[in-house]
Amino acid sequence: MSQTIIKDLMPKDELLASGHLACPGCAAPIAMNLVLKALGPQTVVTLPACCWSIIAGPWPQSSLRVPLFHTAFETGGATASGIKAGLVARGDTETTVIAWAGDGGTFDIGLQALSGAAERNEDIIYFCYDNEAYMNTGIQRSSATPWGAWTTTTPAIEPEATPKKDMVSILAAHGIPYIATASVAYPVDLVEKVEKARTIRGTRFIHILAPCPPGWKTQNDETIDLARQAVQTRVFPLFEVENGRDWRLTVDHAGDPVGPYIRRQARFKHLTDAHLELIQKDVDDRWERLQRRVEHGT
Amino acid sequence: MSDITEPNRTGRDIPPIAISRTTTEVNPTGSWKYIQPRYEDRVAPCNAGCPVGIDIEGYLYLLGQGRTAEAAALLLEENPMPAVTGRVCHHPCEDGCNRANLDEPVAIHSVERRLGDIALAGPAPTPPETLRDERVAVIGSGPAGLAAAYHLARLGYRVTVFEAAPEAGGMLRLGIPEYRLPRAILDRQIDRIAALGVDIRCSTAIGRDIEWSELDEFDAVFAAPGAHVGKDARIESSDAAPTIRAGLEFLKEVNAGARPALGDHVIVVGGGNTAMDCARSALRLGSVVTVLYRRTPLEMPAIPQEVKEAKLEGVGFQFLATPAAARVEDGRLLGIECQRMELGPPDDSGRRRPMPVEDGRFSMIADFVLTAIGEDCDLAFLPDGVEITGGVATVDELCESTTARVFVGGDAADLPRSVADALGSGKRAALGIDQWLREQAGEDPGELDVAALRFGASGNVSIARKRGTDPLHRAAPVNEVVEFDGMNPVHFKPAARNEDHFHSAGDISASFGEVNFGLSDREMSDEVERCMNCGVCNRCELCLIFCPDMAIHRREDGEGFEIDLRYCKGCGLCAAECPRGAMAMSREES
Amino acid sequence: MKKVMIGNHAVSWGVQRARVEVISAYPITPQTQIVEELSDMCADGRLPARYIKVESEHSAMAACIGASAAGVRTFTATSAQGLALMHELLHWAAGGRLPIVMADVNRAMAPGWNIWTDQNDSLSQRDTGWIQLYCETNQEVFDTTIQAFRLAETVNLPVMVILDAFFLSHTSEPVELTDQEIVDEFLPKRVAQYKLDPADPHAFGALVRPDAYMEMRWQQQEAMRETLTLMPEIDEAWAELTGRRYGAIENYRTEDAELLLVTSGTITSTARHVVDERRERGEAVGLVKVKMFRPFPTGALREALAGADRVAVLDRNISPGHGGIFAEEIRSALYDVPLEDRPRLFGYVLGLGGRDVTPAVIDSIVDRTWSADQAERQDLWVGVEL
Repeated sequence: MSQTIIKDLMPKDELLASGHLACPGCAAPIAMNLVLKALGPQTVVTLPACCWSIIAGPWPQSSLRVPLFHTAFETGGATASGIKAGLVARGDTETTVIAWAGDGGTFDIGLQALSGAAERNEDIIYFCYDNEAYMNTGIQRSSATPWGAWTTTTPAIEPEATPKKDMVSILAAHGIPYIATASVAYPVDLVEKVEKARTIRGTRFIHILAPCPPGWKTQNDETIDLARQAVQTRVFPLFEVENGRDWRLTVDHAGDPVGPYIRRQARFKHLTDAHLELIQKDVDDRWERLQRRVEHGT
Repeated sequence: MSDITEPNRTGRDIPPIAISRTTTEVNPTGSWKYIQPRYEDRVAPCNAGCPVGIDIEGYLYLLGQGRTAEAAALLLEENPMPAVTGRVCHHPCEDGCNRANLDEPVAIHSVERRLGDIALAGPAPTPPETLRDERVAVIGSGPAGLAAAYHLARLGYRVTVFEAAPEAGGMLRLGIPEYRLPRAILDRQIDRIAALGVDIRCSTAIGRDIEWSELDEFDAVFAAPGAHVGKDARIESSDAAPTIRAGLEFLKEVNAGARPALGDHVIVVGGGNTAMDCARSALRLGSVVTVLYRRTPLEMPAIPQEVKEAKLEGVGFQFLATPAAARVEDGRLLGIECQRMELGPPDDSGRRRPMPVEDGRFSMIADFVLTAIGEDCDLAFLPDGVEITGGVATVDELCESTTARVFVGGDAADLPRSVADALGSGKRAALGIDQWLREQAGEDPGELDVAALRFGASGNVSIARKRGTDPLHRAAPVNEVVEFDGMNPVHFKPAARNEDHFHSAGDISASFGEVNFGLSDREMSDEVERCMNCGVCNRCELCLIFCPDMAIHRREDGEGFEIDLRYCKGCGLCAAECPRGAMAMSREES
Repeated sequence: MKKVMIGNHAVSWGVQRARVEVISAYPITPQTQIVEELSDMCADGRLPARYIKVESEHSAMAACIGASAAGVRTFTATSAQGLALMHELLHWAAGGRLPIVMADVNRAMAPGWNIWTDQNDSLSQRDTGWIQLYCETNQEVFDTTIQAFRLAETVNLPVMVILDAFFLSHTSEPVELTDQEIVDEFLPKRVAQYKLDPADPHAFGALVRPDAYMEMRWQQQEAMRETLTLMPEIDEAWAELTGRRYGAIENYRTEDAELLLVTSGTITSTARHVVDERRERGEAVGLVKVKMFRPFPTGALREALAGADRVAVLDRNISPGHGGIFAEEIRSALYDVPLEDRPRLFGYVLGLGGRDVTPAVIDSIVDRTWSADQAERQDLWVGVEL
């Protein structure tokens, strides 16, 4: 088929309500909607502090049509472990328990709880929707912020100086049954991965790229295109890792030059062509390493 | 001030913990937006480029939905003979197809042909239940005349078609060989028009068999006699050679069933479809054929596919050459003296004018020469009031001539010449006649907004638009053509075009059987799927899935989507991602 | 069934009898035997609970919160640094009105490292909204653990069951392990009013604006007030089944006492001896044991202490910049007692970092209290030798 006809490939559940408080053009609710469609109503979500804590809606509202437990910032992996244990203890082994965290609550303050849960192979799915900074508190850097980016704590005269932390490798080292990266611009790929994850027991981790118009300094209507370009430039490749050993790409990656992707985001506008070359080299190196892993495993 | 030791019982019923009671649907986040999206169907370039005025995009969409009967109905609403056009049209629709910017144009002609054949296999139409009193005379049963008759009959008029030849069809029967258009197909297509109640009287030429005055009993007349007089190629000494003949005359004989022997070497002069038809027919009669054309392949007016097929079949080509003089001996043609040409500055047609090269004479053997360098009309039968300029009648947008009640169309009017243009002019004439007759009858039909009926600014008019019979829901239609840069091509994967299956060239022998077998049903489905539905929502639902605010919902009647402006924040992702430019953003309406 | 066991195991047995469903814990001296014994109990089926061996105390409380929110009975145990690490989430459990029970083995806060007993760890958490119950004996530890679940699940507040490091946690005493049937009668299965349930989906803990937050805190406070009346009822119900009762406070030989000692934890046992001896000698000395520290039993303490001439509060803790915490809270409780009935208060700080509180130490405190007109300073430190 020459065009993806989405309507035949999307599950029908509508588990996210309108009226939520996401910024216009935000990728986070798109990601949540797709994930909940794939998981269905037999799901409980725990939500540590992140943009979604606000997006979900203030009391007495909720934008999710499944149970939602707000929890403290660093506790995503631990709270989800407890919820799952509680449900199983009361005889419910079917409900899927997920943690839904931002990059801050995953890469930084939440890393310990996630690592603990992964090491114990807790039967949860941990979703990190990654907008590459602490967006909810006003665009401060996280360890997911890419090299060279402006944030409010990495100003343009001294921008982010370290590369994005490689969460997938960290979790692959834990040997958990399933890891995947996903992008809101590839909804079918994302839904398929979540549906697959749902059938696996043990700790599953899905890392979703979620462009943020105010944080990335892009237009509201560019979000999907950015999420697509990130994949096609191989900045954010889409793949799966099973049992920490078997790596597999899930879409074609054209390998478009990274320059236009970087240049369209004003959070990078202070970068020179020399910086862009370094970024391209880094993307190429990481792609090559990924290729080796795909071919030989780890 | 509330009591400081005991709370006020105000009935707010605050729970002990922050547990939700409602959804966020109580928040009208639509108040955040300053721009908003809307669905806005535009015109696909194929529709705009079709001289017949067919809603190509519409029937491709319906086929894609599996609604084949409706697709056929929509096609037949505009085109009386899709099984014919699918075979012989020069398909300018494909030239404008936006898909060409991605890989290759959709093979629209192949789909039309298949759909036309499917329709022919279905039940024949019947005359409308109520007929008007007026009677309309149509002169000529070529594509223009037949189209006018078809549309007028469907509008309720009593139509009589006068055809000079023994069988109806005009150029379709006389000029186009069977290997391109099988007789059975043409016959059945014409029968369908007659089945609407159209009275076709053959062997009845105006001026020869009946007088113009005998048409006074008709309330309106549409003259579409076509152009049948071959232009003189001005070959010296040609009248001394009986085997130098007008190509069209040769074709008429062959298409009527004759199989003359032309001799070993045949030269065909000309670069249009008639020349190709002559060449390929002569080939099938056993001759070695060379086409002489005074310009280069780039300027040939023939449909490129026809030229390609001619070459594959073994027709030879001499470009930048014209015939200058015939070499005759004892009343027998031996050969032609030819003149080498070169291209100079452009002439009136915009093409570069061929000019003789000094000392550029060369000789070719020929037993037979067929000239096909264009045709003129014989319009002597028309009344004086009808203005003729440059050999064709002067007509307005709806084919009305300078004499009231008399309409002229097809090759006889000042219009581009092709089967499609003729069909298109017949439709416009039908609308013009209908409008005029209603005015004459005192019905006060109101101003006919022809521009609104056209597909885009330059497309032909649509009967479906006029009669309101478009089966598809159009969201706020805008009569503009969608260009490729107004679409989002990332959502399409490249897919090679399915090419028609041909009889293998080496197998031609003396057969006039159809050489183009078209596409299989599966290949046709593939082509339908390659259509990008430019400018028109095809319910792909990408807008729905990319809306961050769940503000796009399927309409209950199944006809597309609606935007819940109470929640839409105006981010614009829907319009940006729409693959086919069927959405637009605008300032918020208060 | 009577068994001799260390205090930590008394906790484990209390948890086992209470049919806890999810345990989430992280080891720290001197709590470790609680969780080790529970580990064995879960493994051999004596306690069919799910045991999450988390990677920190903060995660232990987070997991308990998650499990409790799912509507099941949960438990954890910790001490000192671990309790402090949980601090953020203690607020979450209480504000979330989750009936989690946690055993805290009172241990001194670092630096320097100190594994022995004092009360600063639990008292530092006194504003988090947890009910706090201090135990004197291993029997009391077992009984209180079971009572804690019934209390927690009735008022929907989390409960801390507190025992001294080493003096109880590692000291063997005989404990009557009440039969399971009797415990089941006393403590039925938890029925959660609010729980995570896909069949009835809600969001829990979303943003609450100033216009509603106070109402929720009011209700939390009301639940604390309700606890003051509920605790004696639960105590009485347990007494009916087992013959053992404790009370929010206990008055020991306080009738006509002119000098009252106020203690909590194992110091109480030692103080009883001293009181007995003094009474032998004809001194009007009595003892008030404080078991329930939160909610603070203001009424009961006023009643117990008003009219005495002197009150000596023994604090195995210090709030730096103020005084011993029990002393300060009792002082403020006594503020509204009419002047003529208001005793002179002596706040003694002792036993920090596990320094032993012997009968001789308490003796010296009694002597000192008799001899001084009033306290020279808010916090009278005992035995500091620089």
